[in-house]
Amino acid sequence: MTNLALYKREMKGSLKLLIILGAIITMYVSIIINMYDPQMMKTLDSFAEAMPELMASVGMKANAASLLGFMVSYLYGFILLIFPMLFCILRANALIAKYVDKGSMASLVAAPVKRRTIALTQMKVLVSGILLLIVYITILELVCAESGFSGELDIGELLLLNGGLLCLHLWIGGICFLSSCIFSDSKYSVAFGACIPAFMYVLQMLANVGQNAEKAKYFTFFTLYSPDGIIAGESSAIIGICVLLAGAVLLYALGIMLFERKDLHI
Amino acid sequence: MSVIKIENLVRDYGGGKGIFDISFRVNQGEAFGFLGPNGAGKTTTIRHLMGFLKPKSGKCTIHGLDCWNEREKVQARLGYIPGETSFFDDMSGTEFLKFIAEYRKIGPQSRMDELLERFELDPKSKIKKMSKGMKQKLGIVAAFMHDPDILILDEPTSGLDPLMQSRFVSLIAEEKEHGKTVLMSSHMFEEVERTCDRIGIIRKGRMIAVDSAAALHERHTRSYTVTLENEAVAKAFAADFGGICNGENVTVTAKQSLEEIFMNYYGGEQND
Repeated sequence: MTNLALYKREMKGSLKLLIILGAIITMYVSIIINMYDPQMMKTLDSFAEAMPELMASVGMKANAASLLGFMVSYLYGFILLIFPMLFCILRANALIAKYVDKGSMASLVAAPVKRRTIALTQMKVLVSGILLLIVYITILELVCAESGFSGELDIGELLLLNGGLLCLHLWIGGICFLSSCIFSDSKYSVAFGACIPAFMYVLQMLANVGQNAEKAKYFTFFTLYSPDGIIAGESSAIIGICVLLAGAVLLYALGIMLFERKDLHI
Repeated sequence: MSVIKIENLVRDYGGGKGIFDISFRVNQGEAFGFLGPNGAGKTTTIRHLMGFLKPKSGKCTIHGLDCWNEREKVQARLGYIPGETSFFDDMSGTEFLKFIAEYRKIGPQSRMDELLERFELDPKSKIKKMSKGMKQKLGIVAAFMHDPDILILDEPTSGLDPLMQSRFVSLIAEEKEHGKTVLMSSHMFEEVERTCDRIGIIRKGRMIAVDSAAALHERHTRSYTVTLENEAVAKAFAADFGGICNGENVTVTAKQSLEEIFMNYYGGEQND
């Protein structure tokens, strides 16, 4: 159910974006992990004390105990959410909606290749890209942590944490992919694919600040991914991840189904 | 044997736009010209045949296969030139043709080189930088290179210069000789007249005439018999006007060109 020629072409199309995002992530992850230092911690804590709302909104809390806790505070609230999300938004739109919008989808559907195969191939391209990013992040974190603070990182917990991150981004990719399959206009596909996750992220930021806004967490899917909960071994955090993964599968299936049935004015 | 069958196809876009109750057939080894002005519904009909659109009512089949439900089986034997050529701008022509060959899983029996030569196309440049004519040629090569049995061509010669147009016409003639079935839409009378056996005229989403090119001519031929002063004048008259001389009587026939016939059908528009 994969067209290899299409898969190769699209993976080549993902490459540039993956390299750019990979470079940005490399910079942040290596700098932040190397900042894990009792002396530096004090500086960061003073930031957090000076402007608690701002720091909390991007998931950064004072007094992170272990190296992993420190990483959760400073990486898993913003950088590792936003950059892979950017990949989902841009690629999902380019894989289906952009082709339909521009009419070049005609070259793909005017061939003895099922629409399901086309959509499934494009989905695999998106999922492969997300997987590559998360695997790269994991390796990068391991290398940085081991080189700077050998033995301080709980590898099992890190893998679980990143497994959850993968599910979260598969789900976000699912939203973008579904929107790409529904809309024949690139404009709307991007609008929905980008706005829903971005809006949810803003709600998450609000919820992080706490106080009255904390209720916002019930309206955003980011709540389902709880890095602190995963490290603490809470079962609700694991259930959240499973919900995200199941939801992602549903979204992709729905997208493919809709693309199969839709009228193409190309 | 009918290869392409369209039966009572309807697609209403509202406001009088769309296609209404379109029916026609194209037989094996026949070239069918689908004639009509812009916005008459040619492309909409073709999109149904290609399986891009699901018929709201009515049906279309190719080789007995439903164009929507069994589209990938239909596509295996089909060559298609889209009305608006839009390929992958990031590729060069060569990369695009290579991609399509791989994508369609065409083996080494591809007619690509022969077609590139015939249309004098050098596909090395980026598609983004190509002229309209070059893109059209690329579309022709992509549609013909897997040697399909059925050709669905939506305004295939738009953007081509007259020399290339006539090469295209001879390509269609050759394909027809090989028993290929052709459905070609156009708003160019001459092109359809030169290539097609039968012609369907569509206007405002309705078929207003389907007949052989010859019969369409026939129907619009008028003869006049003129009696002249004497036989010598009659002979001269017959020679000048291509009539048939019979004593002092000369019979001349006035044939309308397809263009005039076409205008006849559309001419009524103002009176509507």
